[in-house]
Amino acid sequence: MDTDEIENILVLKDYKTVPDIVHEYSPTLKFGHIPLVIDNGSYQCRVGWSINEEPNLIFKNYIARPRKDRCKKDAEPPVTPPIQIGNDIVNIEAVRFQLKTQFDKNVVTHFEVQEQVFDYIFSHLGIDSEGSVPHPIALTEAFVTPNYCRQLMSELLFEGYGVPGVSYGVDSLFSMYKNDIGDSALIINCGYHTIHIIPVIRGRVIEEHARRINLGGSEIICYLHKLLQLKYPVHVNAITMSRAEEIVHEHSSIALDYQETIKKWANPDYYEANVMRIQLPYVQTVTSTGLTAEQQKERKKEMARRLLEINARKREERLADDEENLNHLLAIKDMIEDGDTDEFNEAIKGFDIKSYEDLQRQITNINMRIEKNKQRIAAAATAEENLETRPAGRLNPPTEPEAFQAWLTDTRAKYRELVARREARRARRAAMVKRRTAAAAERMRVISRLAAAGDDFGNQDSDWDAYKSISREADSDSEADGERVLELEEALREYETPPANSSQHHQLHLAIEPFRAPELMFQPSMMGNVEAGLAETMEYVFKHFSSEDQMLLANNVFLTGGSSQFPGLKERLERELLEMRPFQSTHKVIMAKNPSLDAWYGARDFAGSNEFESWCISKEEYYEMGGEYLKDHYASNKYYKSPAPIIDNTLAPSVDANVVKEEIVVDC
Amino acid sequence: MTGESVEKTYCFKTENKFIVKSGCKKRMWRSLKQILTAERALPWPNEAVLYYSINAPPTFKPTKKYSDISGLPAPYIDRHSKLYYSSAEEFATVRNLPMDITAGYLQLRGANTIVG
Repeated sequence: MDTDEIENILVLKDYKTVPDIVHEYSPTLKFGHIPLVIDNGSYQCRVGWSINEEPNLIFKNYIARPRKDRCKKDAEPPVTPPIQIGNDIVNIEAVRFQLKTQFDKNVVTHFEVQEQVFDYIFSHLGIDSEGSVPHPIALTEAFVTPNYCRQLMSELLFEGYGVPGVSYGVDSLFSMYKNDIGDSALIINCGYHTIHIIPVIRGRVIEEHARRINLGGSEIICYLHKLLQLKYPVHVNAITMSRAEEIVHEHSSIALDYQETIKKWANPDYYEANVMRIQLPYVQTVTSTGLTAEQQKERKKEMARRLLEINARKREERLADDEENLNHLLAIKDMIEDGDTDEFNEAIKGFDIKSYEDLQRQITNINMRIEKNKQRIAAAATAEENLETRPAGRLNPPTEPEAFQAWLTDTRAKYRELVARREARRARRAAMVKRRTAAAAERMRVISRLAAAGDDFGNQDSDWDAYKSISREADSDSEADGERVLELEEALREYETPPANSSQHHQLHLAIEPFRAPELMFQPSMMGNVEAGLAETMEYVFKHFSSEDQMLLANNVFLTGGSSQFPGLKERLERELLEMRPFQSTHKVIMAKNPSLDAWYGARDFAGSNEFESWCISKEEYYEMGGEYLKDHYASNKYYKSPAPIIDNTLAPSVDANVVKEEIVVDC
Repeated sequence: MTGESVEKTYCFKTENKFIVKSGCKKRMWRSLKQILTAERALPWPNEAVLYYSINAPPTFKPTKKYSDISGLPAPYIDRHSKLYYSSAEEFATVRNLPMDITAGYLQLRGANTIVG
């Protein structure tokens, strides 16, 4: 049984990243104008050359900008710790609050961070050409990216890095073409912040009927994170976002029928048999250091003895000092009494004494000090003896084990009884205050009997207890009990052994949670989101097509994106399609071969093709058509020119403004 | 250079485009929401598909109620804390939860606003 349990306990792996190496920038790359392929996702960024099989860099799209160190020593100038980017961040939990990303939802909006990420990318690819990055770039962007964001991205790439050309594409379309599933499909792209449902018919993306659910992997992770923290408030710090992410990635799945699945969990036997136990890291209690309670006590005693010794020595020293001083002063006093004024004046210079009166006062002061010190030394000596013979308290347990156990259970029982009594009294008092309760009626009865009592009241001591029972205040009984409770509590705390298996106290029991968090994709209402879920939105998208086109889409439902890797998602979608599609119609769900990397592979094939050059926006086109310009291709967004030029002086600082800034820096 | 940390420089670029030196006034970046509002204000042609126009429709299915603490189907609601619960044992647990935990559960469900 024990071994069984151990096997069922999952241990979190707490993955650590490995900092990226600087890759070799070979002459082929340097002089071949090889395109660079960047899948800039809001979860991970994947970067590689178009001639390579695999991406060179894969890292989370985060930077950590550490706070400036507060000066510890005034002499040292403030040191700004370096910004950590991507895989430089080895322990993401250590910098959780300094993390920044260039993304807002699935769109890049913070271009200062994006520039830092590009610096990281280009430097880690070893690019060492002077003044520019001489490679055309294939970059993914969000489906229907706002023109404003594309404009800033082009501005950054062309003006900041001097790239010769850029081509933008949509990640899920790249993934679809990579998987070679024909030219009609209903793409379900489950991303980190969004789920896209994109219909493609005969190679044409039907954007007007595409839909986006604003929820993705990050929301699922956050949901599970908060859920576990609320379930285990004790472990609130041990349940980190990274661990929630690990649970979502490795132990969560989509239920085929959510209602049926959760109903099963209401059965305690099913719960016991299927509950997932996850072990959090924990520290063994201190008792494992090998010291018994007896040894620890000895050690404490030894420490106390040493302290006493030190104090005594100090006192002796002070006494000796004072006595020496006194002798000196007395000698000086003798001098003046002998009438030796010159010698006296000479002598008092060393002692900071102004006059004869001053001298007298100092002598009395020292005398008093000596007296006090002597008293203290005497007191300490007797205290030391007392320490040795401290009487044993009445709560000292017997030493032999059986008697000790008996004593312990006895003490516990006493403690419980006292606490129960106290609770009962409290409840009674609370009830007495209210009208029309049994306790209040009883109180009134006692009062009326007291009033009617004759002269023999008080003949017996117990008569006086009547007052205790009608008092609304805390009485002497409860005070005495309170003291006793404290005493017992202390004894129990000292002698009770700590719970034997502390590993069990650091386990998370997951029942419905591994299904509940990913279910958000189908029921966003579980986190208060009013949007329709995945199945409902698919149904909504189908409605906009003719029945022939619906058949084309339903027979090629294509699942891609990192969050589509939940076990059971494919089966669930098939079931949902069976429900929503007409009776006896066919449908098919296809998983991407590599849901998280196929977008990069697709973009690589795109960048490696002969037409790539013609799909690229060149530098000349950038300057001629403006930053938002986009060249349409099979995997791109559609370009709609913005109706009016966006002019915004507050967001684009003029050259003059920059100059002013420089001055400010010089001044400080 | 008075104790100012050396900004990292790369040979492949002549100067920073958007990165500002530490100590300088930071450029404010528009949030996605602001960008979308600005985009919406433009006179777009009818056929243009924009970011905000492909939002998923609101759900038309009745939302199911699940117990906040266990996730089981929850036919009951605790009128005091407004938490859903599925059984009598859960009710006892719900009643003993401290305020911050109940508030956390409500927030997780998005039910912590005063309206609705």
